[in-house]
Amino acid sequence: MKRWLAWAATAAMALWVTAHVPGCTSSRGSGAGGSAAARVYVKPGEHDTYYAFLSGGHHGNVYVYGMPSCRHITTIPVFTPEPAVGYGNDEDSKAMMGGFTWGDAHHPGLSETDGDYDGRWLFINDMPNARIARIDLKDFKTRQIFGPIPNLSAAHACPFPTPNTEYVFAASRFSVPVPNRPVKVEDYAKEFNGIIAGIKVDPVTGVMSMGFEILMPPFAWDLADAGKGPSHGWEFFTCYNSEQGYDSLEIKASQNEMDFVAAVDWRAAQKAVDDGKATTIGGAPVLDPAKVPGIVYLVPVPKSPHGVDVDPSGQYICASGKLQAEVSIYSFAKLKAAIDAKKFDGDRAGIPVLRYEDVLEAKVPVGLGPLHTQFDDKGNAYTSLFLDSQIAKWKVGPPWNVVDKIDVYYSIGHLMASEGDTRHPTGEYVVALDKLSKDRYLSVGPTHPEAAQLIDLRGPKMELLYDFPTYLEPHYAQMIRAEKLKPITVYPLEENTNKFAIKRAEDARIERKGNRVDVYGLVVRTHFTPDIVRVNQGDDVYFHWTNLEQDDDIAHGFGILWSSLNMQIEPGETKTIHWKAGAPGIVPFYCSNFCSALHQEMQGFIQVNPAGSPVAARQRPDPRQVAEIAAILK
Amino acid sequence: MELALTRRFSTLQRRLIVLASLVLIPVFFLPVLPIWVMKLYAPQYREGLQLTIYSNTIRGDLQNINTLNHYVGMRAIKADDFDEFRYLPQALTGFGLLALLAALVNRRWLAILGWLAFTGFAGYMFVDYAEWLWKYGHELDPRAALKLPAFSPPLIGYKRMANFQVWSLPGPGTLLLGIAWALGPAILLLDRRAAKRDIGTGP
Repeated sequence: MKRWLAWAATAAMALWVTAHVPGCTSSRGSGAGGSAAARVYVKPGEHDTYYAFLSGGHHGNVYVYGMPSCRHITTIPVFTPEPAVGYGNDEDSKAMMGGFTWGDAHHPGLSETDGDYDGRWLFINDMPNARIARIDLKDFKTRQIFGPIPNLSAAHACPFPTPNTEYVFAASRFSVPVPNRPVKVEDYAKEFNGIIAGIKVDPVTGVMSMGFEILMPPFAWDLADAGKGPSHGWEFFTCYNSEQGYDSLEIKASQNEMDFVAAVDWRAAQKAVDDGKATTIGGAPVLDPAKVPGIVYLVPVPKSPHGVDVDPSGQYICASGKLQAEVSIYSFAKLKAAIDAKKFDGDRAGIPVLRYEDVLEAKVPVGLGPLHTQFDDKGNAYTSLFLDSQIAKWKVGPPWNVVDKIDVYYSIGHLMASEGDTRHPTGEYVVALDKLSKDRYLSVGPTHPEAAQLIDLRGPKMELLYDFPTYLEPHYAQMIRAEKLKPITVYPLEENTNKFAIKRAEDARIERKGNRVDVYGLVVRTHFTPDIVRVNQGDDVYFHWTNLEQDDDIAHGFGILWSSLNMQIEPGETKTIHWKAGAPGIVPFYCSNFCSALHQEMQGFIQVNPAGSPVAARQRPDPRQVAEIAAILK
Repeated sequence: MELALTRRFSTLQRRLIVLASLVLIPVFFLPVLPIWVMKLYAPQYREGLQLTIYSNTIRGDLQNINTLNHYVGMRAIKADDFDEFRYLPQALTGFGLLALLAALVNRRWLAILGWLAFTGFAGYMFVDYAEWLWKYGHELDPRAALKLPAFSPPLIGYKRMANFQVWSLPGPGTLLLGIAWALGPAILLLDRRAAKRDIGTGP
C-alpha cells in the first residue's frame, strides 16, 4: 500500500512538472503545444492546415500562403498580367482583362454558405477601376472580371459577400458626378454622388451580374460587411467625409464628430429595382433613396470610421472610428426596432438618420487608431490598432472589456483571424498585416517589403509565433481550413470543350484564311506538333496549343523569340496566343516551362516568308512524327 | 487408372467443381479483378504509376507510361496489340463451362481432361506474358533519345530499371484462377481419403 502511494505521488509530481516546465508540453494550456518554432514547423512533405489568401494591393493579384508555416505557395494573377503563365497574353485572359493591365486589389471575399466559407470561389476588388474578379478555387484561376461597374468610382468597400453569396458589393470611395460629366469640383456637394452597388452572384456558376445601384450622398464610402444570422439581408458600409470636403481632405474630412454607417436592406433594394423604381444611368438601374424609401438608413459613428465588422452571432455591428480610441458596438435588434418605429433624427440627402443613443450597445476602449475587427470561437474580438501598432483582444458582450494586447511590427492595417469573419471562426490564429516593415528583415534598400506576423489565439494570451515579409501590398486577407478546398491537379481532357482543341496527333494542322493563320497544335513530352510553321510576313498567326498530358505537374510553355509572348499550357488545357509575323526570316519558339528530361529539345521554328509568297491553305506536320506521337497517345 | 476415370464424383466433389467454375466469373465474365498488376515508382512518381491487366484489357496510367517509355524507344503499350484479350475471356469461360459440364454429367474423365487443359493453358499464358515483356524490353527503337541496353521487365517480383523501381505481381484474378486450379488436385485428394475410409471400414 505504501509503495502504491509512493508511485502515485511520483506520477502526480511528473505530471505537474511536465505541465509547468516550458518546453515539456503546452506552456499555454488549451491545445497549442510546444515552442513557437514547433508550432509553425510543417515537416517536409507535409501540408499546412490553412490556406491564406492575401490581397496583392497595387500588385493587382492574390498571394496564396500556407498557414501556420507562413510559406508563400503561389500568386494568382488577377488584374495584372503574368507572362510566366501567359495571363494577359493568351487570348482568353487578355479579353477578360478588358484592356487594363493594372488593378489595386484590396479585399478578398471567400464565397459563403450559411455564413461560413464554402471553398468555392474567391472574389476580390480592383478599387481604381471598380471591378470585381472571381477566382475559381477548383483551379485557382481568375474566371471572371466584372466591371468597371458603371457610375461607381473607386470600389473600396468591396466585395464582402453575403452569407449565401447572394451578392457582392461595391461602393464609391471617391465620389464623382453621376452620370460623370464636366462640372466644377467646387460644386461637389451639389453635383457629386457616391454609389452603392449590389452585384448578383449566380448560386451555381458564380457568374456576377448587375443587381442594383443606390445613389448616395458624396461621402467617402469606405468599408463594408454583410449581416448574418438575425442581420442577414443587410449590408453595412462605413463612410468618412460626411463634411463633403473636396480638397485638403485630411483636415476638412476630419471635422465632424459623427460620420456614418449606412445600413442597406439589399432585399428591399432588389425588389425596388424589380418593381421598376430605378432609373437607368450608364446602363445600371439606380435607386434614389430620397424617392424610394426603405432601402437604406444612416447610423452615426464617431470620428471617421474605417472598418465595420459584424460579429459571428450577427447581433452586433462593430465600427471603428479611426480618430478615436474606441470601437462602437451597435445592436442589430435596436437598429431594427428604431427603423420599425420610424425613430429618426432627420435625414441626409433623403436617407433617414438613426439616433446614436438608440442603437448603440457599447463602446470598447481598445486603443489608438482602431481599424478592423475579427473574431474567434470563444466570444472574443480582435481589433487592429494602427497608431499603437497592436492588436487588442476584447470580450464581445458585457463587460465589453479589453482582456489582452500584443505588439505587432509596424502600423497594422487589416488583420486576418482563422475564418474570423464567418459565423464559426476557428479561433486558432490571427495574422497582423502591417503597413511598415522598416528594420524587421534583411534590408533590400528603400523599397521595403510589407510585414506580417502570425499570432496564436489558442492560449489565454495572444502569442507571437512568426514574422514574415510579403510583397507589396496585402490589405485584407482571409484564411480557410485547407480541407474545404479540393483543387483539381490536371484538366480532364474529356472535359476540354475549347473550340480550338485537338485531341489526336492526326488533327494537328495549320490552316490559312487570307492573312489569318490558325495553328492547331498539341504539346506532349517532348514535342510541339507541328514544330515547323510556315507563314508570310504580316500574317496574324493564332497558335492554339492543347496539352495532351494528364500527368500531375507536367505543364508546357510556349515562348516565341523576339516577342513578349509566352504562356503556360496546363495538362488537358487549350490556350491561344496571337503573334504577328514580322520581317522575313526564322523565328524559333520553345517550351519555356521545364517539363522533362528532353525539355531542351522541345522547340520549333517559324519560317517567315516574304509577304505574298505562295503558301498552302493547309499544312500538316511530318506523317512519321504524327504516327510516333499518335502511338504514344493511344 | 481405369477405375479413376470411370468412377463417379461424390456430391461434395461435384459441389467443389461447381465452385471452381464459379470463382472464375469475376475474372472472365465480369473482368473486374486484375490478373496482373505492375507498379512503377520513381523519385518524381512516389505515388507510383500502375498498369493493370485484366482478362480482356489493360488499364492504368497507360498514356503516362507510354510518354515516358518513348524516351527509351519502347513501343507504346496498347490493348489493341494483344490478341490475347480477344480469346482469354472466351477460353476462361470455356474452362468454367467445362467444369460445370463435368459436374453436371458427373464424368471424371471430362473433369480431369478439363483440368489438364486448363493447366496447360495457364502455363502457355505465363510463357506468353514473359515473351511480351521480353519483346517490350528488347525491341527498342534505334532512334530513341535514351539508348538503354536491352532488358526484361520483371515477370514477377521486383526490378530496378533506370530511375524506376518496378514491382510486378499477380492480381486477385490470378489468385482466384489459382484457387480454381488447386481445387482439381483437392478433389482427387478427397477420392484417396474416401478410398482409405472404404478400406478401413470395409468387410
